[in-house]
Amino acid sequence: MKRFFLSLAVAAVLSSAAQPRLPKDYYWQKLANGLQVVVIENHKVPLATIEIAVKNGAYTEGPEYSGLSHLFEHMFFKANKDYPDQEKFLKRTQELGAIWNGTTGTERVNYFFTFDRDSLLGGLKFMNAAIRYPIYREEDMQKERPVVDGEFQRGESDPGFQLWIESNKKVWGDLFTRKNPIGDHDIINTATPEKMMVIKDKYYVPNNSLLVICGDVNPQQAFTYAKNIFGDWKPADADPQVKYPVPDFQPISKTDYFIKESSIAQTPMIMLTWQGPDFRSDSVGTIAADVFSKILSLNSSKWQQALIDKGLATSASVSYQTSKYVGPIEINIMPVPEKMKECYQEVMNQVSQFGNDDYFTDAELTKAKEGLKRQQIRQSEKPSSLASQLTFWWCATSLDYFTDYFPAMNKVTKQDIQNYVTKYIVGKPYVAGMIINAQMNKQYNPGEYFKN
Amino acid sequence: MKNIIICFCLLMVFAANAQDKKAYDMTINGVKVIVVPSGNEIVQMALVIKGGVQNYPANKAGIERLAMTALTECGTLKDDKNNFKDKLDEVDAKVYGSAGKDASYLQLNCIKSDFEKVWPLYVDALLTPRFDAKEFARIKEEAINSLRSMESNPDASLQRMAMQVAFKGMDYAKFSSGTIENIQKLTLQETKDYYKSLLTRSRIFMVLVGDISKEDLQKKITALTTKIPQGKPFALKRASYVPQTNSFVAKPKENATNYIMGISAAPQANSKEYYPAALASEMFYNKMFLEVRTNNGLSYAPAAYMTFGATPYSVMYVTTKDPDKYVAVARNLVDKIKKDGFPADDVKNMKNTYATYQYYDNETNASLCYVVANNELSQGDWHKAFTLKEDLQPVTPSDVSKVFNKYVGNFTWVYQGDTTKVTPKLFTQKETPPVPKDKKAF
Repeated sequence: MKRFFLSLAVAAVLSSAAQPRLPKDYYWQKLANGLQVVVIENHKVPLATIEIAVKNGAYTEGPEYSGLSHLFEHMFFKANKDYPDQEKFLKRTQELGAIWNGTTGTERVNYFFTFDRDSLLGGLKFMNAAIRYPIYREEDMQKERPVVDGEFQRGESDPGFQLWIESNKKVWGDLFTRKNPIGDHDIINTATPEKMMVIKDKYYVPNNSLLVICGDVNPQQAFTYAKNIFGDWKPADADPQVKYPVPDFQPISKTDYFIKESSIAQTPMIMLTWQGPDFRSDSVGTIAADVFSKILSLNSSKWQQALIDKGLATSASVSYQTSKYVGPIEINIMPVPEKMKECYQEVMNQVSQFGNDDYFTDAELTKAKEGLKRQQIRQSEKPSSLASQLTFWWCATSLDYFTDYFPAMNKVTKQDIQNYVTKYIVGKPYVAGMIINAQMNKQYNPGEYFKN
Repeated sequence: MKNIIICFCLLMVFAANAQDKKAYDMTINGVKVIVVPSGNEIVQMALVIKGGVQNYPANKAGIERLAMTALTECGTLKDDKNNFKDKLDEVDAKVYGSAGKDASYLQLNCIKSDFEKVWPLYVDALLTPRFDAKEFARIKEEAINSLRSMESNPDASLQRMAMQVAFKGMDYAKFSSGTIENIQKLTLQETKDYYKSLLTRSRIFMVLVGDISKEDLQKKITALTTKIPQGKPFALKRASYVPQTNSFVAKPKENATNYIMGISAAPQANSKEYYPAALASEMFYNKMFLEVRTNNGLSYAPAAYMTFGATPYSVMYVTTKDPDKYVAVARNLVDKIKKDGFPADDVKNMKNTYATYQYYDNETNASLCYVVANNELSQGDWHKAFTLKEDLQPVTPSDVSKVFNKYVGNFTWVYQGDTTKVTPKLFTQKETPPVPKDKKAF
C-alpha cells in the first residue's frame, strides 16, 4: 500500500505532532489535550459513524477489578449530565436514528454510533456527554450488575466459552484476570460507583483515547467539530499506559491437560493454547502468525487435508490474536466423536511437523498472500466498520502497524514463519483442554490418551 | 453492551441504492435476474431456489441442505472436491450452498477481476455436481456433528424447540438442517435425485450485486439457464400462525441461566399491514429493552421482534434468572402497549432509524444481495428493497398500534433451564400476572 498524505486544506488544521502513516482518505490530528482524532472519508452511503476507543479492558484489571471495564462500558449507556437516566439516553439514540453499541475486549473498550450524516454534530455532542460526564447512581448499578452478570451466565451456558475460560486460567495463571474481559461474578456483583470513578479517572482521559469519525463527512468540518467539542477535555498528567504498567505474563511452565465434563456439550470440543508473540517484542512474529494461520486454512494445506479431508474433524482452525501484551495462539477442533482418538493423534502429529521445511509449499505461501490481498479489499467494503477496525489496531499495536499490515504480510518469508512456529509452538509448553458430556466421556474414554 | 440476536431473527431488511447506476431486472429463459450495480470491486451472486421446508416431508428434512452442501463439497464432473476448492482458494473466492425455511441459495463472492475464473466453477457446481460417494459420506458425518453442536448452543437449541412446539404439524416445524435420524438414513442416490428435481427454472431467481456488464451477464446466464429444465409452476405457500391459547413447555437443562422464547402471530410480508408491523417490531424491542433490562435489571438479552417469512410470527425472548418476574413484566408491557398505543414521536423516530438501517444494509454487496433476494421472496417484489423510506412515510401511529393489537396475542412459550425456578401458570393464565409489588415495573 502506498503512503498517502493529507490534502493541504486538511493539513492546515493539524497540530505539529508527528504524523502516523495512514491509508488514503484517512486523516489524523492530535488535539492539544492529547486526544487523537482520525477522520475516514467515505461517501459510499449517506451515513456517519463515530467511535471512541479507550486503552482499557481486561489487561488493566487486577483481581479486585476483574470485569469492571466491562461494567463501566455498560454504565456509559446509563446516565450523564445531559441525559440523566437511561430512558432519556435511549430516547436520544432513537431521535438520532442511531445504530449503536459498545464492546469490551482484552485491550480495548469502544463505543460507537452510526446515524444519518446530518446528525454528526448532534452525535458528537451526545458522545461527549456520555464519555466525559457519566453519572453513577447506586440504584442504576444495582440494576446493571445482574445485566452484566447475565451476559456472563449466557457465556457459561455455552460449552465453547466454558472450555475457553478453563484453558485460559491455566495459560495465564495469576494474571488470568488480565485476559478475561467478562470478569468475576463476585467483583461484578459488589461493584460500587467509587470503583467506576477510579476507572474513569485513570483511563477515560483524552491522552488515552482515540476518536474516529467515519463515513460521508467533510474532514475539515469533522476536525473542527471534534476540536470544539472535545478540545477542553482535561488530560491526565501522565500517560496512563506508563503510569499504570501491566505486569509481565509468565510463560506456561509445563504442558497441562484437562478434560471438563458438561451436560450441555452434545459433541466434544478440543482447544490447545500457546503463548504467542506480541507487538512490543516481536511485531514480525505477529504478522508471520497471521500468514501461517491463513496457509493452514487453505484446502490444500497438510492441516486441512489430514483433518477435514480425511473426515476426522468437522472443523479445525489455527488462529492467533494480535496483542500488545502476549497474544494467544489457539487450535480449536470439533472432532467427529467416533474418530476422536485418531483426530487428536493426527492434530499432534501435524503440530510436530509445523516447523518442517516442507510443511507448506512456496505455492501455498503465495496463495495465502493472494488471499490476504483480497481480504484487504473485503475489509474495506463496509464504511461503518472501518472505525472499529482502526481502533482495534491502535489499541493492540499502532496506527503505523495498521497501515503497513498488508504490505508487511506480503514480505513475510518462509523463514519468518518457521521462526514463529519454532519460537512459539513446536516443542513449547501448552494447555490442552477438552469439553465433553459424561456419556461420551464414558463411551470414548479420552482420558486414556488426552494427557501429557 | 447491547445484545444483538441475529442468529435466528429474520430482521426486516431493506436496502438503499446509493450508487449512480440503477438496479434493474431482466428475464432470461423465464428466470428473473435482478442486477444491482455496486460501484466497488466485489461481486456477490445468489441463485435462489424457492420452497425451503415446503419442498420435502418431515422425515426427509435435511435433504435439501445436504444437497446444497454437496454442490461445493463433493466435487463436480470436471473437478474433484480438492481441485474445486483449490481453484477457489487461488483467488480467495467463496462458492457456498445453504438452505433455509423458505429457500435455498447457492452464493458466490469474489473480487471482480476474478469473476471470469470463478463463474465456471459456480456453473459446474450448479449443473454438474459430482456427488462423490466418499465426500458424501464425509459431509453426512459433518452434518450430524453440526446438529450435535447446534444442540450444544443454548440459543440454537431453544430456537429449535420453539419451532417444533409452536409450528407442530406445519411446514415451519421442519428444520432445514434436519435431524440426526433423518441424515443418517439419507442415501447418496436419493439426495442426488432430489437435487435434480429441485433445480428447475420455475423455482429459481438470481440476484447479482456488482459491476458486471448487462451483455456479459445475459450471455452467461443464458448459457446457464438453457441447461436447467423448466419444471412445474411453483408458488411459495403462505401460512399463518395464530395460537388460540397461551401455552408453556419446559425442558430441564443445566444452563447457567434460563432461556425463554414465546411465539405469537404476525402479518404477511405482502400485506398492507407489513410496514406498520415493521415499525411495531422495532419499537416493541425498544420498549422491552427499557422495561426488562433498564428498569428491572432482569436480563442482558431481552428481545422482541416479528419475522416475515412464509409463515410470519412474533417473538419474545429472554435469558434470565428470574423467569416469573420476567413474564409479569413482559406481559404487562404488552398490555400497556395495547392500551396506550405507540406514541407519535416514537413512530417518527423509528422511521428515521429505518433510514439508517436501509443504508447500513447497503454497505456490503453480500448484505445487499440478501436484502434484495429477501424482498423478492417475501414481498414478491425486489423493488421494495429500495423504497422503504417512501413506503413507511404514510404509516400512522394508529396503523402501528392496530397491527400490534391485532397480532400480538396469545403466546406459545418454551423454556430451557432450571425448571424449579419457573411457575408455568404465570405464562399460561389468561389474566396478566401482576408485577411483584416490591419491584415496580413502570
